[in-house]
Amino acid sequence: MAQQKVVVVGGGLAGLSASMKLAELGVAVDMISLVPVKRSHSVCAQGGINSCNDQTRQLGDSEWKHFDDTIYGGDFLNHQPPVKEMAYWAPRVIDLMDRVGVTFNRTQEGFLDRRRFGGTLYKRTAFSGATTGQQLLYALDEQVRRREAEGAIRKFEAWDFLGPILDDEGVCRGVVAQSLLTMEIRSFPADAVVVASGGPGLIYGRSTMSMVCTGSAASRCFQAGAKYGNPEFIQVHPTAIPGADKLRLMSESARGEGGRVWVPRTPQDTRAPQDIPDSERYYFLEERYPEYGNLVPRDIATREIFDICVNEGLSVENDRMCVYLDLTHIPREELDRKLSGILEIYEKFQGVDPRDTPMKIFPAVHYSMGGLWAGYERSADGGLVSGSPDNQLTNIPNLYAIGECDYQYHGANRLGANSLLSCIFSGLFVAPGIRNLLSSHKQAASELPSSLFEGAVKQHQERHDLLLGRTGGSENPYLIHQELGNVMTRAATVVRRNDQLAEAYQQVSDLEARAQKCSLSDTGNWTNQNVVFTKALIDMFPIAKSIVKGALQRDECRGAHFKPDFAMPSLKSTDDAGRREEAEGWCDRFAANTDKWLKSTVVSLKDNEPDITYEDIDTSSIPPRPRLYGLVGAEVIDEVWTERLRQKQATQPEAAQPEAVAGSA
Amino acid sequence: MCVHLLTNSLTGWGVEPFQNAVYQIHSLGPVLPLIEWGFIFLPILFHGILGVVIIRSGRSNVKHYGYSANWRYAMQRASGMVALIFIFAHVFHLHGWFHVEPWLKYVAEPLGGAQFKPYNANSTLAQAFQVSWLIPILYVTGVAACVFHFANGLWTMGITWGVWISPKAQSRAGALCSGLGVGLFVVGLGAIVGVETTDVNEARQVENRMYEERTKDGSVLPNPEKLSGHGSTKEVVDAEGAIEARY
Amino acid sequence: MISSQHTSAKQFQVRVLRQDGPGQENRWEVYKIDHEPDMNVISVLQRVAAKGQTIDGRASSPVAWDCSCLEEVCGSCTMVINGRVRQACSALVDRLLEDKPGEIELRPMTKFPVVRDLCVDRSRKFRALQRVKAWVPVDGYNDMGAGQKQSMGEQEESYPLAQCMSCGCCVEACPQYQKVEVIREAGESDEAFEARKNEAYDNSFLGPAAISQAVLFNRNPTGKMNADERLEALKGPGGVHACGNAQNCVSVCPKGIPLTTSIARAGRAVTVYSIKKWFGS
Repeated sequence: MAQQKVVVVGGGLAGLSASMKLAELGVAVDMISLVPVKRSHSVCAQGGINSCNDQTRQLGDSEWKHFDDTIYGGDFLNHQPPVKEMAYWAPRVIDLMDRVGVTFNRTQEGFLDRRRFGGTLYKRTAFSGATTGQQLLYALDEQVRRREAEGAIRKFEAWDFLGPILDDEGVCRGVVAQSLLTMEIRSFPADAVVVASGGPGLIYGRSTMSMVCTGSAASRCFQAGAKYGNPEFIQVHPTAIPGADKLRLMSESARGEGGRVWVPRTPQDTRAPQDIPDSERYYFLEERYPEYGNLVPRDIATREIFDICVNEGLSVENDRMCVYLDLTHIPREELDRKLSGILEIYEKFQGVDPRDTPMKIFPAVHYSMGGLWAGYERSADGGLVSGSPDNQLTNIPNLYAIGECDYQYHGANRLGANSLLSCIFSGLFVAPGIRNLLSSHKQAASELPSSLFEGAVKQHQERHDLLLGRTGGSENPYLIHQELGNVMTRAATVVRRNDQLAEAYQQVSDLEARAQKCSLSDTGNWTNQNVVFTKALIDMFPIAKSIVKGALQRDECRGAHFKPDFAMPSLKSTDDAGRREEAEGWCDRFAANTDKWLKSTVVSLKDNEPDITYEDIDTSSIPPRPRLYGLVGAEVIDEVWTERLRQKQATQPEAAQPEAVAGSA
Repeated sequence: MCVHLLTNSLTGWGVEPFQNAVYQIHSLGPVLPLIEWGFIFLPILFHGILGVVIIRSGRSNVKHYGYSANWRYAMQRASGMVALIFIFAHVFHLHGWFHVEPWLKYVAEPLGGAQFKPYNANSTLAQAFQVSWLIPILYVTGVAACVFHFANGLWTMGITWGVWISPKAQSRAGALCSGLGVGLFVVGLGAIVGVETTDVNEARQVENRMYEERTKDGSVLPNPEKLSGHGSTKEVVDAEGAIEARY
Repeated sequence: MISSQHTSAKQFQVRVLRQDGPGQENRWEVYKIDHEPDMNVISVLQRVAAKGQTIDGRASSPVAWDCSCLEEVCGSCTMVINGRVRQACSALVDRLLEDKPGEIELRPMTKFPVVRDLCVDRSRKFRALQRVKAWVPVDGYNDMGAGQKQSMGEQEESYPLAQCMSCGCCVEACPQYQKVEVIREAGESDEAFEARKNEAYDNSFLGPAAISQAVLFNRNPTGKMNADERLEALKGPGGVHACGNAQNCVSVCPKGIPLTTSIARAGRAVTVYSIKKWFGS
C-alpha cells in the first residue's frame, strides 16, 4: 500500500496538536492553513487553560468537579462523555504544555500559578501572562516545525480549503484547496481529513474573532453533507473594547485578577470615573451575584451588562453603550506582571492607560459553542474509548472535526479557559483514533482512481472561473458582509425575540440571493483576495441561516441562548410555604422544559436550506439541574430539585453518582 | 593607536621628551620593521579589508530609524572608512609608504610625502604640518575618526562577545567607552596642537644637539638617513590592532 | 505641498506602493480618504478597497494586504508606514497625521520578497526558526508528568522572549539584514523551489528574532540539553556575529522584546562555546 496521509485543515491549537500527535504516531500529515499557522486565531486567547490541580484538589476540587462545572456552565447541553474525558485529561494536557516549553506563570516556589475564572469557585486556570493562547500556540507550532524539519509534516500555508472530496459512497477521500498566491486549485488525497478551522465570527461582521474566522471551511463541509450541531449557541463575551474594525477582547482574566465592573448610579455621569465616590458607583454584578461577584459565567455577565445599558439606561456614555471595568485599585506591578498583555492592547488601541483609568467595555460576539456535528464512542465509565476511530468523527466517514469548529464540548455556554483545553485535548485525542482508522483501511487514498480527484478540482475550478468571469453583477461583497453582520448582531446575540429572528431569517436569505450577484473588482489570477473573500462570504450564509433558524425554533432559555419570552421567573412569595409551593411549580415547569428542549440541534442542509432535527443528549453522569445563578428563591428551588433527584435515584439505582448532586452551586 | 597618540602628545611638552621617545622606539633597531608590519600594518590592512566587506553587507537606514545606536552604527562604518583613508594618507605624508630609495626620492618626496625624519622628530613634523592649514584639519578629522571607531568598536565588541549584556550594563560600558574616546581624542588634539606650535628652527637645534650627544656616547649609532635633509625611512607607530571589533 | 492643494481638513491622502507580483515593477498610487474618528490603517485600507479609484479618478484594483487578529498579536499586518515598520492595526490614523499632516504612506516591507502590493513572503523568518532548532526536543507527547520547576524570575525572563510573533519588524529595521529573493523558475517543482529558497536563506543573516528564540530555548530546562546545536547555528554563517549592533531591532519591536540583550547573551554563549570547543571540552 502506498503511504497513507492525513490532511489537517487549520493550524490553530487543535490542528497543530492533532498534527504533532499524528506525526508522533508515524502518520504523514499535510496541513492546510489560510495563514502561516503561527498567525492563527488561537493567538488571541488571553486568559488561560483550566485543569483541576494539586492546589485546588486540597480545597475539595476534583476532575469530576471540573467536569460538573463545565456541564453546569454549559446548561447541560454538552454530551457528557467527551466533557468527562476532557476534564480528566486536563491536568495531563497542562503537564504536556509545560514540558514543551509554555512559559506559564509561576508561584514563588516554582509551581504553575493559577487564577480563577468565571463559572467556578476554584483557581483552576494556568496562564502565561495575558497571552496564554499565543504561548500555547507557539509551543505547538514549534513542535510541528520540528516534525516538519524531520519531514513528517508538510505545511501548506496561505492555502484555502475549498471542500472535502467525497467518493460515490459518500466517503471522504481528500480535500480540494486553493493557493492564495498563485490561485492554483489542487487536490490533496487523504485517508482521513481533520477539520480544525475554528469559529465563524465574521458572520457577525465585527466580533472578537480574527479576520480569517469566516467559518467557510466548516460551511464547505456542511454543504458537502456534514451535519452541524447547536448553531444557535453563540457566546457573547461580556467584556470587549468597542472598535470600528474589530471588537477587541478584554480577557476574563481582568476580572479573575480582581477587576470590578460598575456604572455610575447617575446615568451618564459627566465626572471622570476616578472622581466618582464608591457610594455613587453601582457594582451591579457584585450586588446581584454575591457569591460569584464579577466572575459569574459569561452569558450572565453579558446579559447583565446589556441589561444595565439597554433597560436601565446606565451606560457610561450617551451615544455608545459601555460600562467600566476597573483595575485601578490593583497595584501597578501586579497588573504588569499578570495582565500586561491585555492592558497594553487597551492602551495601544484606546490611548488610555487602564492602570490609571477604568476601561470602557461592552459585550461582543466571541465564540461559537456550536459547530460540525461529531460523534464519539462512550466508555463504560462514562468517558470516551481511547483510540476509537469514532471519536470526533462527523457523519461523513473519514472526516473529523476538532477544536472550535466541533460542537461537542461547551454545550449552551462555554466556561472561560475551557476552549484552549478543548482544542488541545480534541487534537491530541483524535490522533490515535485516526491512526487506528488508517490501519483498518486496505487501500491508500492516493491509489484511488485519479478521476475522483480531477473531477473535484474541475468542479471548484469552474466555480472559481465563474466568479472571476462574472461581469453583470453589481453587488459589492464587502457591503453585503457589513449588512449581514448588522442583521445577525441585531437578531441573534444577547437577547433574542422570535419576531426579530423571523425577520432576520428573511433578511439573511435576501442577502444570500444578492451575494450570488457579487461582481469582483479584481479579476486577476494572482493573490486575488477579492475572490477569496467573496467565496467565503457566500459560504457564510448556510451557517448564518442555521444560527437564526436554530434560535428561532428553540423556544426556551439555555446558556447563551436567551429568549426573555421564555425565561423562567424568580419566586415571588415571601413566606416559606408559598415559596415551597412556587418552587414545586417551578421545578415541574423546568422538568417539562428539560424533556422538551434538552436536545442538541442538528442541522443538515437540504436544497441549501437548513433542516433541523433534535438529538438526545447523553446525561448519564450528571443529571440536569436548574442553573440558578442570581435567581430569587434559588435555594428553595435547589432544595426541591435535589429531593426529586434523590427520589429518582432511589427508584433507579444505576442513575447518577451522588457526587453529581453534591456539586450543585 | 593609544601608544602612538600618547607618544605624539609629548610634542606638546617640548622637544626633548618627544625626541627621547622616538629614540627609544628606534632603539629596537632591525626588529622595528618586523613589529611594524606584523603588529601594525598587516592587522590594519586586514581590518580595513574586512571592514569594507562588513560595510558592504549592511545598508544604513538612519533616515527612518534615527535612534542613537543606529547613528553610531552608521558612524562606525563612516569613521572606519575615514580612518582607513586617513591612515594611508598619514603614513604617506610622514613616511612615504615604502622604504625604497628611488620611490622615496622620485615619487614620495616630490608629492609631499615621507616628511618625517626620526632623529629630527619635532622639527620635521612641524615642517610637515605647517605647510598648509589643511594638514591640521585633515589630522583632527582623521584622529577623531580613529578615536570614535576605536571607542565605539570597543563597545560593540563587548556586546558581540557578550561581555556586557543587559541594557544597563551596555549603557555603563557605553559611558566608559565614551570616556575613553573623549580622553584619547584630547590626547590626540594635544599632539596636533603641540606639533603646530613647535618652532622649527629651535627644535632642529635641540634635536641636532641630542643626536650628537647620543652618537658620541654610543647610545645611538650614526644614521644620517634618519636626519632631515637625507633619504627617509618609513615609520608608523599606530596600534590599531586592538580595536578588532569583529574578530 | 500636494496635501494642502488637494486635501480639505476632513480628508487625507494615502500613498500606497503597489506591485502586481514578484519581480515586477512597482508604482505609487494615491487615494483620498474621508477622515473618521478612531481610524487605524486597517480601516484606511478597507476604505481604499471600498473606494476602488485613485485620487485622479482612475479605477484601481483593491490593494492586497495581510491581516488577521487586528490586536497586534498575530503579526500579519506588518508593513512600512510613513517610512517605519509596524503593524497596520495598531497604527492609529490621528497619531500618524499628527506626525505628518495630510498624508499617510504605505509600502510593503523591504526585506522580504513582495507577493503583491503590501503582502510579502516572510517564510525566511520561519526557516530561521528551523535553523536554530527553536523548540523543546521532548521525547513525545505522552503523559510523563509535569515539566521541571522554574522560578518566577526565570519565567519573567523567558516570557518576553516567547512573545515574539515573527512579524519581521526587527529584521526590517536591521541594517545588516538584506533581502533575499529567489524567483521561481519556469517548470520548477514545489520541492525544488523550496530547496533552492532554503539554501539561499540558510546562508544569510538569521536576524534578531531567531537569535532571541535560540536564547529562549537554551534557557529552557529541557531545551538546554541540546544547547550546543543551537550555538552551532548561531556560530555559523549568518549567525550572531553578523549583527552590527545598530540596535534598531529593540527599538522597533512592537512587543518590546529585549532583543539586544538576547543578542549579547547569544554572543557570550557562542564565545564560551567556541573557546571550550577549541580546547576540546
